[in-house]
Amino acid sequence: MGKLILPLLLLVTGLTATTIDDENILQKECLRCHKAQQIPDDLIYRRYLMVYSTSNRMEKAIFSYMKNPDKKNSVMHHPFFFKFPMKEKLDLNDKVLKKMIKKYLLTFDVKNKFTTLP
Amino acid sequence: MLKSEKKSLIRFLLIYLSSTFFLFALAGFMFYNYEKEHLLDKQKDILSHKAQKIKTEIRALHNTFDEDLTYPSYPSWKSAIYDLDKHYIMGTFKEKKSIGEADSFTEGNRLFHIGSVEPHYLGAAYLLVTQEIDTVPMWELKKSIYIFMILAGIIFSILGIFLGRLFIEPMRDSMEKMNRFIEDTTHELNMPISTILNNIEILESSDDFVKREELNRIEIASKTLSRIYDDLTYLNFNHKYHRNIKHVNVSKFLQERLVYFSAMAEVKRLKVNVEIEDDTYLDIDKNDLIRVIDNLISNAIKYNVVGGSIEISLSEKSLKVSDTGVGISKQDIDLISQRFKRANQSEGGFGIGLDIVNQVVNYYGYVLDIRSKFEEGTTMEIRWEN
Repeated sequence: MGKLILPLLLLVTGLTATTIDDENILQKECLRCHKAQQIPDDLIYRRYLMVYSTSNRMEKAIFSYMKNPDKKNSVMHHPFFFKFPMKEKLDLNDKVLKKMIKKYLLTFDVKNKFTTLP
Repeated sequence: MLKSEKKSLIRFLLIYLSSTFFLFALAGFMFYNYEKEHLLDKQKDILSHKAQKIKTEIRALHNTFDEDLTYPSYPSWKSAIYDLDKHYIMGTFKEKKSIGEADSFTEGNRLFHIGSVEPHYLGAAYLLVTQEIDTVPMWELKKSIYIFMILAGIIFSILGIFLGRLFIEPMRDSMEKMNRFIEDTTHELNMPISTILNNIEILESSDDFVKREELNRIEIASKTLSRIYDDLTYLNFNHKYHRNIKHVNVSKFLQERLVYFSAMAEVKRLKVNVEIEDDTYLDIDKNDLIRVIDNLISNAIKYNVVGGSIEISLSEKSLKVSDTGVGISKQDIDLISQRFKRANQSEGGFGIGLDIVNQVVNYYGYVLDIRSKFEEGTTMEIRWEN
């Protein structure tokens, strides 16, 4: 019995630790700055959602923008950049960056917000 | 109206009305399907308007940043939104419904409409809207088609009867002419035949009379003519003839008719073997019975070979006449009861005899059994009891 509980415990602890790590990295690498600069994450998310529709397509578009931050690669309107400065290129590796984008999209996902009237 | 006229008219009406019905049914079916599509298109338009309404509400939802996004729902119709990969996002269906390529389709009694959402508010690229098909207009359409078909049926039936009568009229005229001719001819024939036969009888009854062969032949020929006259009269007046059915002693009748045909049998030197059960009775019209007996015996004599034999037997159950004549080929047996059909083309006679026998047998529900071997002989049996 003990042999079974121990690996399970380790697995759960490991997964929780990973989630907390991801959250920390997202906060540290992305949202902290966004908050400081008052960047409307909801608005950005909705804008990407309106253009790309699916998470996969959004992921690819955001990744492409992150790798090469440019007005041409962004879906935001040009006036947006008058108010919010063009972000600098991140020095995160691709794997972590993709992970962060996924986490970012999951944070603002609208699917979890839907309700229907009975 | 004659039986044959009625039959022709019914046949004509059946063909005419069934073909008209078929054409109308086909046209009605095509018209119904065309109009049904038209009615469905109207409902699709209504559905499309509803879809537009939902799109507007989704757009409004997209622009709100509340924590709860209440998806628009309506009691009479359902909807769902899908992303660009056609994955279900949200909707009011009980179960997630997948979508295909068609922009509108029907499933059971529901009509579905798929519209694109551009730009993709809340990620929605496709919007599926559905409602129950309103079947009332379809029923109204069906009802109208049925009423039209019934009215057209009545009009075309009347027209058919009118046309049928119009087409039959020349045929009726010809038949009437022919009947009148036969009536007149038979009437004209009766007098000389009766005169000949009566005079032969007078001659035979005189004391100093010596019957000569020539006179014998005249008697036979006159009797043959007389029988043909009776057959023609019977056939001609058969449809107007009122049968006087009585309890008749067939045995007695058969013996009388055998005497009548004895001269004819003698000429062909036929040996007639008779086996008659006494007092065999049947409920039958006398004239019908004479026609049957006469035709069976005269055929047995006519189609027999010289020096042959005839077997006649009467029992409570049947009357059987067999001969040793030319016989009938197998393929002719089925056709033999047909009017004017002669089994042996080389022999004389009208061939109407068997037709008369057949008519009488059918009328009384008897069974006519014809057994024959070509060039060996024929047996005709009428059974009234199984």
